Amino acid sequence: MKKLARYLKPYRFLAILSPLIMIGEVAADLCLPYLMSFIINYGVLGTDVNAPEGGSAVASKILSVFGVAPADRMAVIITFGLLMIAVTLVGGFFGTFCAWTAATASQGFGNDLRRDAYRKVMSLSIEQTDRFTTGSLVTRMTNDISRLVEFVEMILRMFVRSPMFFIGGTVMLLNLGLSFGAILIVTLPLLVLLLGLIIAKAVPYFTVVQKKLDRVNAVVQENVGGARVVKAYSREEYECERFDRASTGLRDTSLRVSLLLTWISPILTVTMSFATIAVILIGGLRVRIEAAGMTVGAIMAGTSYVTQVLSSVMMITMMFQSVSRALASASRVNEVLESDPVITGGTLSDGDPSSETAVEFRNVCFSYPGTSGRDVLRDINLRVRRGETLAVIGETGSGKTSLVQLIPRFYDCTSGQVLVDGRPVSDYSLEALRLKIGYVMQKSELFSDTVSNNIKWGRPDAGPDEVKAAAVTAQADSFVQTVPGGYDGMLAEKGASLSGGQKQRLSIARALVRKPEILILDDSTSALDLETEALLRSAMAKELAGTTVIMIAQRIASVKTADRIAVIESDGSIVHCAPHDELMRVSETYRDICASQMKQVPAGE
Amino acid sequence: MAEEKKNESPKLELRPGGPRGMNARINREKPKNAKATLGRLLKYIGRSRITLILIISLTVVVTVLELFGPRFQQKAIDTFSLKDGKLTVDFGSLVTFLALMAAFSLVSAGLNFVLGRTAARLSQGTVYLMRRDLFEKISRLPIGYTDSHKHGDIMSRMTNDVDNLSTAVSQSLTTLISAVLTLIGAFVMMLSYSPLMTAVALITIPLTVFVSSMLSKFMRKYYVRNQQLLGQLNGRVEETVTGYRTVVAYGKEPESVEKFAVVSEEYRKTSIKARVWGSIMGPLMNFLGNLQYVLIAATGGYLVIKGRAGMTPGKIQAMLQYSRSFTRPVNMIANQYASILTALAGAERIFEIMDSEEEKDEGKAPVKPSDIKGNIEFKDVDFSYVPGKPVLKKFDLSVKAGRKIAIVGATGSGKTTVVNLLTRFYETDGGTISIDGINITDMPLETLRNSIAIVLQDTVLFSDTVRNNIKYGRPDADDEAVRDAAATARADTFIERLPEGYDTMLTESGGNLSQGQRQLLSISRAVLADPRILILDEATSSVDTRTEMHIQQAMVELMKNRTSLIIAHRLSTIRDADTIVVLRDGAIAESGSHEELLAAGGEYSKLYSRQFAGIET
Repeated sequence: MKKLARYLKPYRFLAILSPLIMIGEVAADLCLPYLMSFIINYGVLGTDVNAPEGGSAVASKILSVFGVAPADRMAVIITFGLLMIAVTLVGGFFGTFCAWTAATASQGFGNDLRRDAYRKVMSLSIEQTDRFTTGSLVTRMTNDISRLVEFVEMILRMFVRSPMFFIGGTVMLLNLGLSFGAILIVTLPLLVLLLGLIIAKAVPYFTVVQKKLDRVNAVVQENVGGARVVKAYSREEYECERFDRASTGLRDTSLRVSLLLTWISPILTVTMSFATIAVILIGGLRVRIEAAGMTVGAIMAGTSYVTQVLSSVMMITMMFQSVSRALASASRVNEVLESDPVITGGTLSDGDPSSETAVEFRNVCFSYPGTSGRDVLRDINLRVRRGETLAVIGETGSGKTSLVQLIPRFYDCTSGQVLVDGRPVSDYSLEALRLKIGYVMQKSELFSDTVSNNIKWGRPDAGPDEVKAAAVTAQADSFVQTVPGGYDGMLAEKGASLSGGQKQRLSIARALVRKPEILILDDSTSALDLETEALLRSAMAKELAGTTVIMIAQRIASVKTADRIAVIESDGSIVHCAPHDELMRVSETYRDICASQMKQVPAGE
Repeated sequence: MAEEKKNESPKLELRPGGPRGMNARINREKPKNAKATLGRLLKYIGRSRITLILIISLTVVVTVLELFGPRFQQKAIDTFSLKDGKLTVDFGSLVTFLALMAAFSLVSAGLNFVLGRTAARLSQGTVYLMRRDLFEKISRLPIGYTDSHKHGDIMSRMTNDVDNLSTAVSQSLTTLISAVLTLIGAFVMMLSYSPLMTAVALITIPLTVFVSSMLSKFMRKYYVRNQQLLGQLNGRVEETVTGYRTVVAYGKEPESVEKFAVVSEEYRKTSIKARVWGSIMGPLMNFLGNLQYVLIAATGGYLVIKGRAGMTPGKIQAMLQYSRSFTRPVNMIANQYASILTALAGAERIFEIMDSEEEKDEGKAPVKPSDIKGNIEFKDVDFSYVPGKPVLKKFDLSVKAGRKIAIVGATGSGKTTVVNLLTRFYETDGGTISIDGINITDMPLETLRNSIAIVLQDTVLFSDTVRNNIKYGRPDADDEAVRDAAATARADTFIERLPEGYDTMLTESGGNLSQGQRQLLSISRAVLADPRILILDEATSSVDTRTEMHIQQAMVELMKNRTSLIIAHRLSTIRDADTIVVLRDGAIAESGSHEELLAAGGEYSKLYSRQFAGIET
């Protein structure tokens, strides 16, 4: 919480001003029952303002200021009435002003915090976003920050307001009659205790309710998404039972919370009405015993103050639960703010132009951070010449993707060195390094924007011709033409309307428009049908003459034309890296893969 | 006055979730046919009619009891009187009235407590019933429904809409009844004190309603804009965080931050405006409330001074209290009205699912899955997903029991449709599909589907243990059978390497497994299900070819004595099928064995040579 407080610093003036203004509003509100008692006592009842018993110096002073004769009861009522309206207006002005200061300060706080947190998220290394998980990062950025902003605004307005009401109301009540204090001494601890107990008992359940709700959602999600499998195996009944279990759990816990909370309203109303009764009773007792020092107006004002004090106590109690929630959010946001990117760039802006090698792996070992597990890549030594097309092939999980992810430094290798243009990748500034690379993911990520802008993601200053050229090479042009709006057509929901193959082709176009020195294709043609893939391959061969291409693929047909093919063995090492023909002779793994795809085809066909 | 503030104070919520009232009022939604929906809804809630009647009658009683509170307070205060400038009190009656006040408040609080609990039970019970019915309904809907509706949309009906409804049932219902009653009751009470003062008190009501509706309109403008911006903001975060690798790969972090900052800044500005406008409401209402107060006090004072109509200070205070309970319901009704409309709109969406046509399951043919031999026949089958765009045209296909058929063809040629129709995920538009000579529409769905096992390209795993995921198709299988199935599908090695082996919980639908591993699990599932008919729809596309080769050996085992339908991109996968069927534009272009088709030099041989271009040198 403390660390987040610095975000309020730029707005400290408003943040301090806001509670001060609130004092004005509270004071105005507290004045009202007091003025009302004057109307009753000196207007309606006609008690003498200057009487030693039941008179009021304040009221007398006010009347003399306005030049109203105390005897003119109608004028007295109207004077105090107008005064009440005036006080309301002043209070209202303060209230609105306070709302403005509080909103300005808290929204400013929120804006700064959100921007910083987002900038932080955008600077994190991939392994950190992996660790946070994307879902959690999104919630932290959205719900948690919103909750914090609301909390700050509430502090600025309500945290001051309720205690001030409490103190002010108590003072005014005692001012009316010290004996009224007895009521507070009895009711206050009782109310705080009861409300506190209920809230303390209920709050832990909120997380449980949330968990159970998540569970219900998960079952629904799985069933809607996996309807085919549920139906194919005729497990509808089983799923209904599974849902029923989750749903019953949710119902039972929610009901427990609701039932707990039903105690609050009766407790509150009973306490308040008994306090009101006590005020009138004490007033009556004092009138009977002393026949002095008490007025009807005071009793009536007393009932107002007592209600005010008790409701402010309730508000304060309730606020504690929002404090605990805000604290949880604060620590979640803090975790983001405090994580420094593990991978930071160097200063180098370009590599060694004389270097023959575009990419080099030197004794590289790699295991995923945070997993104590085995090395995914083992002692890799590999040189990729400029302009060469290198294919990477290997079993599922053998580390193909891990290998290429080391080039743009999504991860850093555990030992050894990765070099680009003869210089270690860690020497480059991240920007310069990644500018050299066009990377097409296994799972294409498109954004809700136009087709053209999605391609231009690769290079924002690309002209329409370049965009089209890239799309043509990527075999995307033909289907883009059929998208409503063509290149200016919007991709709804991150391209949900496109097929897997279409998304892959757009992603490839995005990488091509960048005109990268190094193009990395991570199994990014898997969803293309054979014909399209063949067309794509020949178009790329023509257009990307000088580009170093590193491509991961499953099909032998896709890799066969590559200059060299690196075969990752199942233990994460590369034993052979050679052209197809040579591999067929020397690599057993490669022959295996080949055979699996060439099975039963007589050689030399 | 002081109490007036209660309206404005933040309603601290003791239930998880955002504030409802304001949102309901801002995002005003309109149900299309409120009356009919309300009727259906009442029938739903009316399942527990006694509870509903209890709630309504308790609300009435509690409201009436609460209306008497100020009346006793007035009587108590009026036991004080000014005699010869001295305040005296009729202490006996004071105590009586206060005792009555206490009794009423205790009774009404007690009843209120019972009411709250009953309403909570009703609301939770209704939500539960509704969710259960909705889920059961969804499970009976044809695949076409889930295919053609956004999943998020279905989810939100299941959760948000049902939740809103429960709030409406438990809160809006009682609040509305009590608000209307309070309105009438307070009016009667005020009239009984003084018609003149009542008239004066009413003067400010139209003003209050006018001002609050004007202000809401104004606020709404900013709130709507604010919500939009918040949506944009969250959308941006969502998109860039889920696509973070792409963002990083293209060095788009600074640009993203910049764009985010622009929206964030605009959000800040509108937020402040929305809040300030929102906060004017409170003071304005306060002002109007106090204006009313002064008007009543002045009129009352005037009447007392003139000694008319038995006006007393106590009565003035009672008038003040009643007039306040007169203004509050007006606002409350406006709020509740909005949230009831939202709830009804949600109810409509829920009923829309409830009304959707279910899967037809009228077949009664007395066959057991174990009796099925597996002769499949498609005859003159027509089908289209969208009317006018036929996918299959007079499609004929005949597969003998135990044979292996592969279907190939370009994207959109109708390969998967064949599977969709055979499993009755979709119904044909014309023609018949039969298994062992029995029309599949004459078979109970369960029999049909239990005789088919299907492995899809998009694997579906459930958040459960590995074991239970494999057992999905045969819940009664023992551990040994599970292990055997996993071994057959070559999944056993990686499963045993998982932290808890077969008891490892899969998170987020198997998110902790690689695509290939997930695929192996769903193949194990099909192996264990041991069906007469096996369908592999791109089942091995995410598995590398070497692993595929291993599985394939297992597959050969698996496909023995079974009718198998294989759909694949990779031709290597299907080479040893008995018959290969090439689809083009919803009809069979050619069919035959691998060798026959190659020799024929048609579509297949073209596809083949393209895929293996240059390999066979």
